[in-house]
Amino acid sequence: MAHLLLDSSIRLWVVLPIVFITFIVGVLRHYVTQLLHNEKKVDLQQVSDSQVLLRSRILRENGKYLPKQSFAMRKHYFNNPETGFFKKVKRKVIPKNPMTDTSMLTDMMKGNLTNVLPMILIGGWINWAFSGFVTTKVPFPLTLRFKPMLQRGIELLSLDASWVSSASWYFLNVFGLRSMYTLILGQDNAADQSRIMQDQMTGAAMAMPPDPNKAFKSEWEALEIVEHRWALENVEEELMCQDLNFRGLFS
Amino acid sequence: MSSISELYDVTWEEMRDKLRKWREENFRNSEQIVDVGEELINEHASKLGDDIWIIYEQVMIAALDCSRDDLAWSCLQELKRQFPDSHRVKRLAGMRLEALERYEDANKLYDSILQDDPTNTAARKRKISILRAQGKSSEAIRELNEYLEQFVGDQEAWHELSELYINEHDYAKAAFCLEELMMTNPHNHLYCEQYGEVKYTQGGLENLELARKYFAQALKLNNRNMRALFGLYMSASHVAASPKVSAKVKKDNVKYAAWAASQISRAYQMAGRGKKENKCSVKAVEEMLESMQITMS
Repeated sequence: MAHLLLDSSIRLWVVLPIVFITFIVGVLRHYVTQLLHNEKKVDLQQVSDSQVLLRSRILRENGKYLPKQSFAMRKHYFNNPETGFFKKVKRKVIPKNPMTDTSMLTDMMKGNLTNVLPMILIGGWINWAFSGFVTTKVPFPLTLRFKPMLQRGIELLSLDASWVSSASWYFLNVFGLRSMYTLILGQDNAADQSRIMQDQMTGAAMAMPPDPNKAFKSEWEALEIVEHRWALENVEEELMCQDLNFRGLFS
Repeated sequence: MSSISELYDVTWEEMRDKLRKWREENFRNSEQIVDVGEELINEHASKLGDDIWIIYEQVMIAALDCSRDDLAWSCLQELKRQFPDSHRVKRLAGMRLEALERYEDANKLYDSILQDDPTNTAARKRKISILRAQGKSSEAIRELNEYLEQFVGDQEAWHELSELYINEHDYAKAAFCLEELMMTNPHNHLYCEQYGEVKYTQGGLENLELARKYFAQALKLNNRNMRALFGLYMSASHVAASPKVSAKVKKDNVKYAAWAASQISRAYQMAGRGKKENKCSVKAVEEMLESMQITMS
């Protein structure tokens, strides 16, 4: 394990400038995204459908607090073979091809432009400008597999994998400064890259899935198998085991 | 005439935070909001920064409640100047017209908002409130039903509909609305209690048993709900006094009623602790419980 003593001017001229640059670029990205952002038009049908699905889900989860009759009535409304909502309602679905649908295409392009491009540019510049030396040490030990990834430009076989180059410090900053952005720019800001990447992965889960028919079918299946176990079956007995607690009622 | 800050010795930051608390918890203490908000706007507008717009909105609605048309107009002017094309500001303008009872103009304004943005729920709800204010409750009910068909998740609307149905004495439908509310808020004791009351009012043995169960549930969720306690006592005694029940059910309900009565007297004893009239009030409670006994007719 080598104990290296780094020149303190590395701290002054490399570590701090990278933090600074990442932060400023993030703030700029936020404002640029706000400028290029355009209002998303909401479709009444979609809103209505998503609320209906929500209601059905709540019925499944909390139906046990309702009287048996009411639960049966609502289940019937949704699942009746002839007149049930999920059986009867079929939505016309226009498959949205990402390549040809113009609005989605422009959104994707804008997203790429504002997020990926700066990251590539700045990452490359840092790699070029600050290469050939070790910048910092991560506080936990890493295996040798990490060496080619984190020690770009430093060809030392015996160097501990914990010593990293400036490019990896840059990436550390990109993700680490997220909470700083929240502090400065308020919640839900566009500089929050990791959230955007998360959104891309779980995209369909948040917004209304493009195929409401599929969603209806899965909701129908889920509702079919739910049984009504009334939570209030023994409520009086449970209530009367002990005296009521009136603390705080009379001051 | 001294200002609020002198009367209560508070700084402008505390006044602003108080307003925020009232706003977030949906208080309707309009006179207080008008007093505090008016002073904040007149004296400390520059220090508030961007908070001032939401304070304008809050104060304007409170001013409409208190018939302070001058204050409402000035707030509206400021908001219109800052946000000229906003639907939210248009809705406030519509509310002001409603307060002046110019319902036709208000309706036209809301229609124009809806033409622009069919999913705007605020404008639709204001239109329904206009119908209610004019006393056209059957039309209000019909419109509200249509609204709820599209926006099934709007809990405020379900509650409003249940109130309308109760006023029309259509208890079955009111019970349906309250069931929706109970489903989405299973831990809210107030909805359970209201549901129990509606079921009790509907009458009939099954409904009374349901009512008793839901009063018990409300008490379980919040031990201090006195209305639910009284409701439990009444529904249990009612079931016990009914001629159609089996002996076991009767015995159970007598037990429930007795327990409820004992809890009520306990509550009144605790309330009267340390006061001189304690003995009299406890006796009054016992007499009241006696008189509330349902006798078989």
